Amino acid sequence: MSPRRIPSRPGELIDRSTTVSFTWNGRAFTGHQGDTIASALAAAGVEIFSRSMKYHRRRGIFSANHWDPNLSVQVGDEPNVRAGSRRLLEGMQVSAQNVWPSLRFDLGTANQLVGRFLSAGFYYKTFMRPQFLWHSLYQRILRKFAPGGRIHWNTSTHGAYDKRYAHPDVLIAGGGPAGMAAALSAAEAGATVMLVEQEPELGGHLRWGANDDLEVLADLRSAVEASPGIEVLVDSTVSGRYDHNWIAINQRSHPLAPERLIKARAGSLVVAPGLIERPYVFAGNDTPGVMLAGAVRRLTNLWAVRPGDRAVVLTASSEGDSAVADLESAGVEIVEVLDARSGADIVKVDGRGRVRKVHLGDGRTLAADLVVTATGWTAPTSLLNMAGDRPVYDPVAARYFPHALPDNVLATGGITGDGSIAELLAHGRETGELAAARALRIRHDVLTTTARSTSPKGPRPETVPDDRIPLRRVPHPECYRSSTHGLVDFSEDISSKDLMQAASEGFDSIELMKRYTTVTMGPSQGKLETVNAASVLAEARQVDMADVGTTVWRPPFSPISLGALAGRIFEPVRRSALQDWHEANGAVNLLAGQWVRPDRYGDPMAEALNVRNNVGLIDVTPLGKLDLRGPDVPKLLELVYVNRWQKLKVGRVRYGAMVGEDGVVSDDGVTGRLAKDHYLMTTTSSGAGAVWEMLEDWLQTYRSDWEVHVTPVTGGLTSINVAGPRSRDLLERLVGGVDLSADAFPYFSVRTGTVAGVADCIIWRIGFTGELSYELHVPSGHALHVWESLLATGSDLGAAPFGVEAQRILRLEKGHYIVGQDTDGLSKAPTAGLAGLVKLDKEDTVGLPELRAAFDRTDLPVLVGLQPDDPTVVPEEACQIVAGDSNEILGRVTSSRMSPTLGRSICLAQVDPKLAAAGTSVTVKLVDGSRITATVQEHHAHLDPEGERQRV
Amino acid sequence: MSRHGYRYSAGKLLKHGVTRGDWPRMWSKPERRDSYDVVIVGGGLHGLATAYYLAKNHGITNVAVVDKGYLGGGGSGRNTAIVRSNYLTPEGVAFYDRSLQLYNTMASDLNLNVMLSRRGHLTLAHTDSALRTMTWRAEVNKLLDIDSSVIDPEEVKRLTPSLDVSSDTRYPILGALYHPPGGIVRHDAVVWGYARAADHLGVHLLQDTEVLDISCSGGDGPDGKGPGGRVTGVRTSRGDISAPVVVNCTAGWASLISNMAGVPLAITTHPLQAAVTEPCKVFLPTVVVSGSLHVYVSQTDRGELVFGASVDPIGTYRVNGTLEFTEELAGHVLELMPGISKMRLMRQWSGLCDMTPDYSPIMGFTAVDGYLVDVGWGTYGFKAGPVAGETMAETIATGRTADLIASFGIERFTEGDLVGEKGAAAVGH
Ligand SMILES: Cc1cc2nc3c(=O)[nH]c(=O)nc-3n(C[C@H](O)[C@H](O)[C@H](O)COP(=O)(O)OP(=O)(O)OC[C@H]3O[C@@H](n4cnc5c(N)ncnc54)[C@H](O)[C@@H]3O)c2cc1C
Repeated sequence: MSPRRIPSRPGELIDRSTTVSFTWNGRAFTGHQGDTIASALAAAGVEIFSRSMKYHRRRGIFSANHWDPNLSVQVGDEPNVRAGSRRLLEGMQVSAQNVWPSLRFDLGTANQLVGRFLSAGFYYKTFMRPQFLWHSLYQRILRKFAPGGRIHWNTSTHGAYDKRYAHPDVLIAGGGPAGMAAALSAAEAGATVMLVEQEPELGGHLRWGANDDLEVLADLRSAVEASPGIEVLVDSTVSGRYDHNWIAINQRSHPLAPERLIKARAGSLVVAPGLIERPYVFAGNDTPGVMLAGAVRRLTNLWAVRPGDRAVVLTASSEGDSAVADLESAGVEIVEVLDARSGADIVKVDGRGRVRKVHLGDGRTLAADLVVTATGWTAPTSLLNMAGDRPVYDPVAARYFPHALPDNVLATGGITGDGSIAELLAHGRETGELAAARALRIRHDVLTTTARSTSPKGPRPETVPDDRIPLRRVPHPECYRSSTHGLVDFSEDISSKDLMQAASEGFDSIELMKRYTTVTMGPSQGKLETVNAASVLAEARQVDMADVGTTVWRPPFSPISLGALAGRIFEPVRRSALQDWHEANGAVNLLAGQWVRPDRYGDPMAEALNVRNNVGLIDVTPLGKLDLRGPDVPKLLELVYVNRWQKLKVGRVRYGAMVGEDGVVSDDGVTGRLAKDHYLMTTTSSGAGAVWEMLEDWLQTYRSDWEVHVTPVTGGLTSINVAGPRSRDLLERLVGGVDLSADAFPYFSVRTGTVAGVADCIIWRIGFTGELSYELHVPSGHALHVWESLLATGSDLGAAPFGVEAQRILRLEKGHYIVGQDTDGLSKAPTAGLAGLVKLDKEDTVGLPELRAAFDRTDLPVLVGLQPDDPTVVPEEACQIVAGDSNEILGRVTSSRMSPTLGRSICLAQVDPKLAAAGTSVTVKLVDGSRITATVQEHHAHLDPEGERQRV
Repeated sequence: MSRHGYRYSAGKLLKHGVTRGDWPRMWSKPERRDSYDVVIVGGGLHGLATAYYLAKNHGITNVAVVDKGYLGGGGSGRNTAIVRSNYLTPEGVAFYDRSLQLYNTMASDLNLNVMLSRRGHLTLAHTDSALRTMTWRAEVNKLLDIDSSVIDPEEVKRLTPSLDVSSDTRYPILGALYHPPGGIVRHDAVVWGYARAADHLGVHLLQDTEVLDISCSGGDGPDGKGPGGRVTGVRTSRGDISAPVVVNCTAGWASLISNMAGVPLAITTHPLQAAVTEPCKVFLPTVVVSGSLHVYVSQTDRGELVFGASVDPIGTYRVNGTLEFTEELAGHVLELMPGISKMRLMRQWSGLCDMTPDYSPIMGFTAVDGYLVDVGWGTYGFKAGPVAGETMAETIATGRTADLIASFGIERFTEGDLVGEKGAAAVGH
């Protein structure tokens, strides 16, 4: 069953006493705990894991880690799982991606036959005619070949992912020797430390090292475990670094969630991700059996898998030498070791499903089934890029190094240089100390300057100079490409020849080349590919690597699931204190912005008529409510409303409208003066947040000397409108401390009193429905009591609840416009009929200059009342008003309903000014295309234009 | 197309495949002249299209397009490439529809496959007020002969099965505005297509050449800049160039450039972020936009989902991107398609958008003679590139503002006559 498993290794991660069963493409396999998906399959002799994107070439293990471009597999409903690092679990159903109909026999290989015609950017150069065939035929075929896994539509882990916030002093990205040493010294210095490692265990490259490496590792691990100041997160990736060291960590090891996002504000970030091995470019370099030295070292030492039988090794560094030793100890025959430092080279590999022959630079050919390369390193600098660094290429060491980092970001380990384990540890320790010193200073500052400061222990830590001894840079040959062309980007199937061609076509900057060829655009985002691509470009342009630059690395460091990013959705629906009652009493709900509220309880027409004839109650809590206090409130009102406010007396309310800087109506509502320096402002439901922000914006920035305090009380006060001819009768039975008589409490007044025994209720007399009506603002804790008392006490008066739909009917009968429905993003005050309200001679009002210009104009649309000539036809809202039979647009219906009071259809409409005169006949085009006529009315109000019903 | 161009075709692909011969450069590396008839600042889609139509439609070929970086390195290389014409105002509809017509024949006009995919564009409505605005747009569109209608949730599901149209979600899908001709295009190819075609007609494309100042004389402001003056040329990082006509096509940098001529613009600059996932097998056939959820999404032919949003609320020139953007984006996308929670976000990026108060561009002549603007493109300028180029070229060549852009003039900000596209453009791109 495991033909390639070798006897026990000192550092192996597998637990041979366990058996883990799983399937691969439907066939049963077993592995051990500690295996990766790839190592278990490799141990069982599987050699092909995927097919390449464009040519569907067979692909095998290449780097045997997270970055392996050939090891993306589907596991159950999870696409694109990295089989090179994902640990095996019982019952996994693993299958190959990007194959059709099967991994072994794949029709996409037909592309290989025409490969020579599919050069870089070939698709830009053909399929141009006939135009329609591109979308209807070619593109459809192309889309069939899209790589990647499959979505399972019944997956719904959405919402199950959780997030966590953390505030470590020092956050360390990378749990290799340097990172662990940094964690230890930072913790010793008194910092709280979060040590984050992408692999399921700490140790980095020590894990697959020799015995003395394993001993160092064991010591480091126990020291880390023993340190209470260090929190270790394994199987977790630092996926992004944002401004002010705001750091995203994708945690996979959490027991409750498949993945979760940790958001950390770190004092210092230590970047210690080690190095990534760089592939070598030569013909056939993607043939299964060509592997990086690190891959064979991991396979043999961590998972006890013999990666091949007869190996040729090309090496330019000690990593290759170590690989040779590992292979020998695993029983692999070393056919030949080629030293790139003395000019040896591999030019080509033959073999389809597996390497068979290796052609060398000196003309010889060797038989082998394994080719191992160790030709250089890539520094994974992307976290440094995110911190604003532009790493610099060093031709002597043949890789990039950090350049200029902000104070709160430090780098250590292989990304900064080379050295023995002892040197790496020393550099790590010094970096940890420095990181801790800087972070503790930040912590001290935070503790002393924030509002809730506690006094920190001790004085402010001194600044510590960065006198770390930099790691050495060991010279390394610039080994990028052999004399032949091979693949640069394995996930995208892009060869060095493609890149050369792109450069010669004018795509000779790294950004243009990337865009034209798609090199580095695959799932590993250039971790393996970027530097090789840059080297090919340098070669094509005959310039130094340093002059080519690289593309900019952007977050995330490695891909992160949408579920983890989303977390639980905290977008609650707002419910008034009465919503439970509504639902228990048959309300049909309406989701209106943030709020859910009753659209109706039964027949909205009947509800509306009950308001006209008796008395109705509506829950209008979503109305925005702002409590304004201070001597300068009148100034504020004067500034934000188009009308005058200085003279509003205590006990009076007034209607006000707001416009934006562009003169367009933005919100409206009533504001009442409750006491000398105390006002209550209401806004539209949808505008509540925006108006609050706007007031704060003025008060905190441009008018900071004004004494006004704004408190949003939308939810704190439950608002109940009691409307109808018998509303006063009803309230008289329940209101205490307020004289409700018409003389004592006239229209547009406000009083504070007791309702059903509840004190401090604000009552104002206004009327959106056109009836005598009172709006009660009741402390929400007592709202249900008040509501139920009103209904019970008023049962003989016909008191009944009504919903939003009835209210819409009532207000339309009365001709009240709704901001945002009857007005739009262009409706200036004159359009909304606010000529009487706007005071152009005011000293200052938001939008005043625009308003002055607007009132000079004669071409602005006008809001009018409109009635279809056929009273049974209700044109849908937004129907267009056109010029007769033509398609010329002259306006639109903004609101429409059947009026139960009038027994006919009624509308509000915006029309061209030449149609605005009462009696004008207009043509309305219905949604079905037919046209009807309608007549412009004298007033917006279809009912009681003089307002007699509400003034009683 | 070409005076001295090399035509691409299936035959050429075969020939090059067989002979393995080199392809010629898509555009040349010209020697900079000291003076041009027209200098266009900005080598994005707008600058290149303007240059192409100047040469092609009006025979004006002594033209330089100057860019501080590489071609298409600004918004034109970062956008999410949605094209559509279902705008709200008749002016907007007529303008964007002309652009769509130009996109339609672009591949053969420019002899480069720009991969226009008119796959259908859905704008979802989650509230009854959104539904009303969609009806408004649809009704205006129909009167102007644009294929656009409001559809119900069942039809939405039929067109895009991956959407959750059930009613018990936080943001239920109540319907959608469906615009069948809308879709996406390969943005880089459009840029390269115009660049190559303009180059073949003799236009000079000067990359890595930053404009440092605009030279003027006779104006009210310092150094002869500002109203009443006229343009004499530009100063660049590679030397001075004189020109009687200078056109500002610099999108996110437009107000900086315009200040160089003493013409302030009613623009604030905001970052707009976008992101892309790892590839998965293709499942999303349409472009889906949700205004309430501030998100839109389409799937590339490579299987990646491309997401965009509305602009960041705070104006800045920083384009670092934020974590919160990806969190909110993911949350909202999963609201629409809960099934994709295991797809992974692969890359996020950000670009600059120059927003005007009325979500409409600023185009045409200015108070400085010879200085023209084609700016204020906000989050919607990609789809407008072709028609903007065509109308700007016409305006420059004839000395008369082209009809289609008459309502986009800079004077509207002093005359208080703004265009009403706010509703249709805010997230619609
Ligand atoms: C994330 C994102 C998504 C978008 N999605 C869409 C979409 O789906 N649909 C849509 O229609 N639009 C979209 N847009 C908007 C669209 O990208 C832009 O409106 C459009 O690309 C503008 O093109 P342009 O040619 O005017 O400007 P750009 O392409 O930005 O070109 C301006 C050029 O000016 C150059 N420049 C600047 N300063 C100088 C100087 N001093 N000297 C010389 N050169 C200079 C820059 O280098 C740049 O190349 C999106 C934008 C972003 C950022």
